[in-house]
Amino acid sequence: MLEVKQLTAGYGRTQVLWEMDLTVGKNEIVALVGPNGAGKSTLLRAITGMIPVRSGSVTFDGQVIQGQSIEEIVTRGIAHVPEGRRLFPGLTVRENLQLGAWRTRDTNIDHVVELFPRLGERLDQVAGSMSGGEQQQCAIARGLMSKPTLIIIDELSLGLAPVVVDEIIQRLPGIAESGTSILMVDQDVDAALTIASTAYVLEAGHLVLSGKAADLLADPRVQESYLGVG
Amino acid sequence: MDTFLQVTAYGLLQGGLLALVAVGFSLVWGIMNIVNLSHGAFVILGAYIAWEMQSWFGLDPFLGMFVSAAVLFCIGYVIQRYLINLIVNGPVFITLLLTFGINMIFIQSMNLIFTADFRSIQTSYGSNSLKIGAIHIPVVRLLAFLLAILISFALVAFVKRTRTGLSIMATGMDRGAARLMGIRARHVYAITFAISAALAGMAGTMIATIETFDPAKAGKFTLMAFVVAVLGGLGNLYGALVGGLLIGLVESWAGQYLSGTWVNGIAFLVLIIVLIFRPNGLVGKAFYAARVEL
Repeated sequence: MLEVKQLTAGYGRTQVLWEMDLTVGKNEIVALVGPNGAGKSTLLRAITGMIPVRSGSVTFDGQVIQGQSIEEIVTRGIAHVPEGRRLFPGLTVRENLQLGAWRTRDTNIDHVVELFPRLGERLDQVAGSMSGGEQQQCAIARGLMSKPTLIIIDELSLGLAPVVVDEIIQRLPGIAESGTSILMVDQDVDAALTIASTAYVLEAGHLVLSGKAADLLADPRVQESYLGVG
Repeated sequence: MDTFLQVTAYGLLQGGLLALVAVGFSLVWGIMNIVNLSHGAFVILGAYIAWEMQSWFGLDPFLGMFVSAAVLFCIGYVIQRYLINLIVNGPVFITLLLTFGINMIFIQSMNLIFTADFRSIQTSYGSNSLKIGAIHIPVVRLLAFLLAILISFALVAFVKRTRTGLSIMATGMDRGAARLMGIRARHVYAITFAISAALAGMAGTMIATIETFDPAKAGKFTLMAFVVAVLGGLGNLYGALVGGLLIGLVESWAGQYLSGTWVNGIAFLVLIIVLIFRPNGLVGKAFYAARVEL
């Protein structure tokens, strides 16, 4: 569904990514892992047009999308939950969710409230006043409002308590099964590899490992670098 | 006492119009972080359009102001979409320079087209007035005041209650996130600027029914919009209302009890005093501090 081939990208004169290859299939959860500064977020940003792609290609549902504006790309059915969540802080939860459905104009919030019941109690609260975990739930819910075929979640667990992260992560397989593939970046490598079917390991802008998440979880190199085992 | 009440009534009526001048200025500043130095020129252009409408077609200024609004909406959209959007991420200095330039072009164009003569819009009911106790309230001023307040509230309702309004708020808070929702930020910015210009045009028309105008007066309205917007609280639309009424009162009192040249000085004095005690303005919250740039 999403296919990234030989992608290079960067900021200004600095090249951050070299020849990335990545595929996300239908109903699949794909995890990107790697140390800080490896280029994980940069890759996600390049996919949704937040930074320009220098070479290589990005195709989504068989259509080339690189070089298009952010607005055009998200209209094709990709939702991007950015690093830091980036809710509209002065607007209520309900308004944030409604804005998530901007392109489809379907402002029915039932399906996301069902997924994150906590948000149902907070609908009229200003988003900026919620806890980090609630904000992350709201950000994901906002991304799901347009019923995208792919949701990109950057730094899902950043700054959140493990208990809260578990609560959010256990919702992801259900989301994928109901037709929204997930491409996620997370600090919590163990959790990410446990729910993902495929994973890619990035280091210093290069793809160093990829394969079935279960295989990577058992891979000694991954265990040593990221899981503190061995 | 009667004089005081009369002066106070005039001040409030004038303040309503100042609020309408400032509300669009404040919107543009709050949403896009642009201090639009050409705002006063839009006010004056609105007055000229309505004047011409009356002169050519005999259109009443209170209807002509909608023509002014429509024309300025289009002009505002084009200016933002194809000019200011190019530098909207630039430092404040660059945006100031650009809007200053736009202001010069508008003022000089108006000088060429309409000449620099003073004009005003006369109506058949211009000399009618209501008498409440010892106070005279000219019908035109009252009508202009009520419309100005109504339009300001309509703007607040529009921003808070409509889909387009929500997109304006969202884009103002976090442009990058708004674009990730699929909101076309360039278009939203242009609409915001267009609304601001349209309101300036309406305000200008109504001001022209009360006092004389000429192209050189543009600077005064930009200055007033600035004072009122900062006084009320930046980007806060109710703040512009409160600030407008206060400045209207202060100007009116100062005009009555001090010599004329003091009026602007007193307005700024009030601004400084308010900012000392309430740095975010009268009604302002630290709301737009939450702005994030992509």
